[in-house]
Amino acid sequence: MIVSPSHTGSHPSTFSMKPLAVLLLAMASLVGCSKAPESSSTDAAANSAAPVTSQKPLLIGYSDWPGWVAWQVAIDKGWLKEAGVDVKFEWFDYAASLDAFKGGQLDAVLATNGDNLVNSASGSRGIMIMMTDYSNGNDMIIGAPNINSLADLKGQTVAVELGLVEHLMLSHALKKAGMSINDVKLQNAPTNEMPQILASNSVAAVGAWQPIAGQTLKAVSGSKPLYTSADEPGLIYDVLAVSPTSLGQRRADWIKVVQVWDKVVSYINDPATQPDALKIMAARAGVTPEEYAAFLGGTRLMTLAENQAAMDKNDNLQSLYGSSYYVNQFNVSNQVYGQLVDVDSLIDPKLVSGQ
Amino acid sequence: MAGVARILTRKQSLGLGVASFLLPILIWCAVSYLQFVWHPQVMITDAGDVSYFQVDSRTERATFAAEVANMQQAGLAVPQGEPINPVYLPAPHEVATAFVTSFTTPPLQKDAPWLHESLLHSVKLVFWSFFLASLIGVPLGVLCGSSVIVSRLTEPFVEFFRYLPAPAFGALAVAILGIYDAPKVAIIVIGTLFQQILIIANTTRKVDLGLLEAAATLGANRWQRLKNVIIPAILPDVYRDQRILLGWAWTYLIVAELVGASSGITWFITQQARYQNFDQVYAAILMIGLIGLITDVLLAKLGKRLFRWNAGHSK
Repeated sequence: MIVSPSHTGSHPSTFSMKPLAVLLLAMASLVGCSKAPESSSTDAAANSAAPVTSQKPLLIGYSDWPGWVAWQVAIDKGWLKEAGVDVKFEWFDYAASLDAFKGGQLDAVLATNGDNLVNSASGSRGIMIMMTDYSNGNDMIIGAPNINSLADLKGQTVAVELGLVEHLMLSHALKKAGMSINDVKLQNAPTNEMPQILASNSVAAVGAWQPIAGQTLKAVSGSKPLYTSADEPGLIYDVLAVSPTSLGQRRADWIKVVQVWDKVVSYINDPATQPDALKIMAARAGVTPEEYAAFLGGTRLMTLAENQAAMDKNDNLQSLYGSSYYVNQFNVSNQVYGQLVDVDSLIDPKLVSGQ
Repeated sequence: MAGVARILTRKQSLGLGVASFLLPILIWCAVSYLQFVWHPQVMITDAGDVSYFQVDSRTERATFAAEVANMQQAGLAVPQGEPINPVYLPAPHEVATAFVTSFTTPPLQKDAPWLHESLLHSVKLVFWSFFLASLIGVPLGVLCGSSVIVSRLTEPFVEFFRYLPAPAFGALAVAILGIYDAPKVAIIVIGTLFQQILIIANTTRKVDLGLLEAAATLGANRWQRLKNVIIPAILPDVYRDQRILLGWAWTYLIVAELVGASSGITWFITQQARYQNFDQVYAAILMIGLIGLITDVLLAKLGKRLFRWNAGHSK
């Protein structure tokens, strides 16, 4: 087995992973808590089709965002089982859930509509069948103590995580204030580090979502939100994105899943049951209910009736279509991906009406 | 060289060992409890007449001092506050409290694992990954060290592969192996195995050539030389290598557990860090350190028993 260096260099992963994968599969049963995928490695890597048969529960990846943690209420109360659908929610770190969906390991993932477009652009299409919520204040552009408005940002440096929602929101906010994204200097930085970055006095503003936004406000006395997602509801929708295969094979089950949602929304919004809902959600996130309550207000959960309204196809941000067109343009002009994706093919507006 | 290899008594040696822990802890205490050492921020308790100060939020010490001066000059109410360390450096007693309470607090969510169950899951993950890596790495390393052909056939690629960042294979591992423990095992194995092959191979090469020549002269064939000379000769050193490599496997745990479904101690650490409960984060980090240290001490003791003939060499 003589391998020329150039050959080795171009295919390192294929060479090493195959035998390793075979061995690991054998070991997986030894570890005892793993599940071996049925599909061969090429199948799984090549498309987003999840290897499921109709006997298996629908596998949904969810992560720490109030609109998604809301599903925990349905899980704990057994409402999905009551509705006659077998669903398994698997808890992830957000980025890891996107990876798992792209790797074809999940039937569906809870993501922002923008991130779903990014997944789809790379070949892992997710069909958006419902919105859980839109961000209503949980995303913020936060100014340093001496910055009082977006206009003060002209010529200044702003730290955002490039390509993510805060970048999009900043660009939108500046446009509304009669400026453009070119009027500020962008500094790319991980969202988790925004509190330290603003505290270091090296930037005029940062973009962050909760809970990091709240931590930033506390870390720098006198810092304030210059613009939040509450100023433009509908810029960022959070959606349930299903793999085309799963939706094609088990549409009836997905309709049942969607129909449970209204029950969740009213349980969380009803003042009588809200404390219990908060307890369930906070427990999932591993924090106290008081800590979690602060983020609930910044997320506007959408009922199915509101979903139906937002599934109307138009160019406004009040529509999932309009919002996704907008993000699509933004992603292309910021080179998140090269070509516009076909947004219309990624939305299935009928399930929220029970069809 | 004279004077370097000083022989310490048991007592001295133990004392120095304790001191090696006490020193960093004392520094930590000093930074946490002595305000003049660090405390670069001020937690505002009364905003006074400073328009932009808010109670219970932090500001830099210099900013605070400047505003105090401003207010004094203007004859307005002076802000009050306490010097404080950044939120990501909790004091020792806070971490100690978190260490205890994190074990005694039942999981908030029903059927979620207790902390010790999460820890156990992580320990198992490291154990199986290391076991799997060793299953391949140790025999292959010994073969590389004792046969030039195997060595040339294996080591150039291994040399190359060991530089590849294991975490970067996360997405691929998930795509192939699923979302549960298998991709996590794969990452720890990738991180450990390739170093292991080279280290064990090097250890094997250190076998006294004289011994091998003598065995050959006495008519031992290849297999006999491997079984009766090489393996007994290297066993104590391989054991010590394995102890070091086990620590290596632990360092990959956190990146490994970040892929796929959340599990183990990493889930606890990342989630608590997201909400800035750094006392809990450091408590969890301490737990990993303690488990590693205790395992290593136990393995060292076991090694002394197993390899009595080598007592002078290994520690």
